[in-house]
Amino acid sequence: MMLRDLKEKYAIVGVGYTPQGKVPSRTALSFHLEACANAITDAGLKKEDIDGIICYRRFSPKLGEPEVTPYLLAQMLGITPVYLTQEANCARTHLFHAMAALEMGLCNYMLISYADNAVSGGRLFIEEDTHGEPPGDLLLYGQMGFTADYAMAAWRAMATFKTGPETWKEIAVAQRKWAALNPRAALGKKPLTYKDYYSSPMVTEPFRLCDACLISDGGRAVVVTSVERARDLKHPVVAIMGLGMAHPSYDVHQSPYLAGPTGAKEAGKQALDMAGISLEDIDACQIYDCFTYTVEITLQDYGFFGPGEGGDWMREVGIGPGGKMPVNTSGGLLAEAYFMGLTPLAEGVMQLMGRCQDRQLGPKTGTKEPEIILVSDNGGVFQSHCCTILRRL
Amino acid sequence: MGDVLVPQPTGDTREFWEGCREKKLRFQQCEACGHVRWPPSNLCPVCHSFETKWIESSGKGKIHTFTVYHMAFHPAWKDRVPYVTAVVELEEGPRLLTNIVGTPPEELSCDMPVEVVWKEAGEYFVPRFRVVG
Repeated sequence: MMLRDLKEKYAIVGVGYTPQGKVPSRTALSFHLEACANAITDAGLKKEDIDGIICYRRFSPKLGEPEVTPYLLAQMLGITPVYLTQEANCARTHLFHAMAALEMGLCNYMLISYADNAVSGGRLFIEEDTHGEPPGDLLLYGQMGFTADYAMAAWRAMATFKTGPETWKEIAVAQRKWAALNPRAALGKKPLTYKDYYSSPMVTEPFRLCDACLISDGGRAVVVTSVERARDLKHPVVAIMGLGMAHPSYDVHQSPYLAGPTGAKEAGKQALDMAGISLEDIDACQIYDCFTYTVEITLQDYGFFGPGEGGDWMREVGIGPGGKMPVNTSGGLLAEAYFMGLTPLAEGVMQLMGRCQDRQLGPKTGTKEPEIILVSDNGGVFQSHCCTILRRL
Repeated sequence: MGDVLVPQPTGDTREFWEGCREKKLRFQQCEACGHVRWPPSNLCPVCHSFETKWIESSGKGKIHTFTVYHMAFHPAWKDRVPYVTAVVELEEGPRLLTNIVGTPPEELSCDMPVEVVWKEAGEYFVPRFRVVG
């Protein structure tokens, strides 16, 4: 069995949304349950059909709530799954797990869920021990959280090739334009000009606030099944055409690849190889955008442009509405909502299903009607990378 | 100064911090293949030998990368912004998370040569770095 044999054998058939942004007085569990129930309904399934559950990522609970374990989620969904798992850290391998379990015949319909009350709970994503060093040492030097860690990566990139705010502003501004077309987007009503970008407060230099993703209350879930089963369900079939992953795993403070090539290079190659296509066949991208620089280095490592050519490429090709290579059409993690890799994945699926209303790729947004969308996911600080290529059959 | 600004050695980092009591920056070197590693551990990631010795670093290196905090994410650092955290690549090879002190942040750049300076913290001295030359 080769990865290539699984090309277009599995599909994503349902997407579940919840209220999102700042939604006080809600537990993380309640967002999980709402996202899951909505994803099941969206797929045209019943809860009795679901026989696999993957919780996207484990976080310590906030606000004195019980931890949302996969057990708790299954119990409260009223599902007794055959397959049940949860990622403790950030290796974004959920679609691989889903496809492997489906391929083994363990189950037929896999539910993947992420939710958090991160805004209401005041989560700053600095409290996890993801660094392999004692948290005490991090505090000792005042190194706290991903904004600083990614800023360090970005600064190394600035010393290595031509990049910096001149490039990153293109990403922040274009994604905000997409967000304006998305009623769910947290920053949809806050337009961003280049000037606004430069006057955004500096957080951890070289990053301004506008370079960083949102923190969100809410959740997102998707359902994965076989293409064969997908054909009997409600929506146009969005198949998993290609998958690739790589886990360079180095802690950011020892990493030799802050300026690339990150895992995106190998993962992208694998995914394109499985799909049997080249970058020219990609109609749009949904790139994991925890920070603006992440978008640049990911596209660069996939091979869309050479090192340091990103700014010119983005201005020439166009990544916003009307552009030739639309990127992060929901507004992304920067401007829609932060649901880890499920923000870009859900958007890729919804675009290919043709369900994106005002931001729908095609004539409505002066872009090409998409058949193939590339989706990326990135864990830790470039420690894990997964690339997914979706195709509307 | 709060407790968070004092080293909290673990089973793996105890030897490192013991060296820092005497202002000695020490790293583990694999007895089998010579690889100098950080963070400390019981296994060489290059050759899987468990045999290791502690060597003293020259304390000289260069700034691999850094960031300037304009906001504090913890009360202990609230009154210290702007401050600089950095990854310094030592001559012996390891990359160490630390602070750069003594130079205005806007004058810093990657690959600048630096050397260790020591800051007293409880029973220990914490290695930080300053630009040289």
